[in-house]
Amino acid sequence: MENEGRRKFLGVCVAGATAAAAVAAGYPVFRYLAPRSGQGGAAKLVIPVGELKEGDAKFFEFAGSSAVLIKTQSGELVALSAVCTHLGCIVQWVKEKQQFLCPCHGGQFSTDGTVLGGPPPRPLAKIPLTVTEGNITIG
Amino acid sequence: MIRKNTLAILLLASLAFLKPALAAPVEQPETVCIQCHGTLPDRLGAPVKLWRSSIHADNGISCNGCHGGDPKDAANAMTPQRGFLGAPKEKDIPGFCGRCHPGVYKDYLSSAHGRALGAGGPTCVTCHGNHQVVKASLALINEKSCTRCHSFDRARAIRDAMQQTEGYIDDISRRIADFQVSGVDTEKMGKSLFSVRNRFHTLFHDVDVARVKGESAAINKELGKLDAALKEIEQSHQKRRVAGGIAVGFMVLLALLFHLMKKSYD
Repeated sequence: MENEGRRKFLGVCVAGATAAAAVAAGYPVFRYLAPRSGQGGAAKLVIPVGELKEGDAKFFEFAGSSAVLIKTQSGELVALSAVCTHLGCIVQWVKEKQQFLCPCHGGQFSTDGTVLGGPPPRPLAKIPLTVTEGNITIG
Repeated sequence: MIRKNTLAILLLASLAFLKPALAAPVEQPETVCIQCHGTLPDRLGAPVKLWRSSIHADNGISCNGCHGGDPKDAANAMTPQRGFLGAPKEKDIPGFCGRCHPGVYKDYLSSAHGRALGAGGPTCVTCHGNHQVVKASLALINEKSCTRCHSFDRARAIRDAMQQTEGYIDDISRRIADFQVSGVDTEKMGKSLFSVRNRFHTLFHDVDVARVKGESAAINKELGKLDAALKEIEQSHQKRRVAGGIAVGFMVLLALLFHLMKKSYD
């Protein structure tokens, strides 16, 4: 009788502890699978079209990283990550050549981000943009 | 036997996961330049020995990276037709290095050092050496080196202005390296730090104390962001350690409960 009461009590304890263990083991799995809050994309950035002349570039911060908006000499607008894909330095705009140059190891990129020379292994990442009512919305 | 095989497979699998974190410096097949000059004595072989302990060798930049030529064809390796440039004359050294380091080259040319190029002023190799180029640090700014040409006063002022930020960079670099070894994805942080460090070290080439002080504030802000990201990882690891401890305690409690329950059936 005494054993039965003890067994019942221990059974409740084991069941409770097992349930708690299951929750504790499942929580990291849920955390891993669930999308992180605030990862739905960086805040959009709006730049007036008039701020940029043909052949010019404008650098700005986007999603915690350096980015650049250029207006090519043909008037096309392109937004790119300004982080060199070689070792992470911030590229510079060489207006005379209409291309980007990485000051660290001389990586060169075209206006659409394509690697033109030097050690970078990949093109500069493109950032989507839309133009509406005289404003460029980046992101 | 089966158990041993399983153990071997598990061990190999874990080593495969460790590989990216413990990756060795870039290894590339030896160029014909190294094969030939590596066996030559004195002046012709010395550069190879020096180069082997350089940051260029660590990153797979061989002789042809600077001197041009064909690193795969021993017979024609040093012909101008294959782009061989040979050793630059003293006044051409900054341009020679500047092909791969354009940012530093630009700052150097606008500095007092650069303006004295060809008139007894220092070139890149005066401070960095030529074949045994090592990772740049503030140790390069020292009395012995600088007083070969001028007094150390101004260089000391610049070094002192850079010291605190350099310490901050070293601390962040060490923490990133520690996380990399423990398997944390540090690629983005490593690249950010490289960029900031490069910006910072470039400052010295301008030889302008006021600019160093002004830019250091912006650089410290960038380093602050990296510091915050690293602290977040450190806190997360601390939380995991606490959670791990609680989990172990919990398992011990569960085992005890099972044991007591089993005993109640005896």
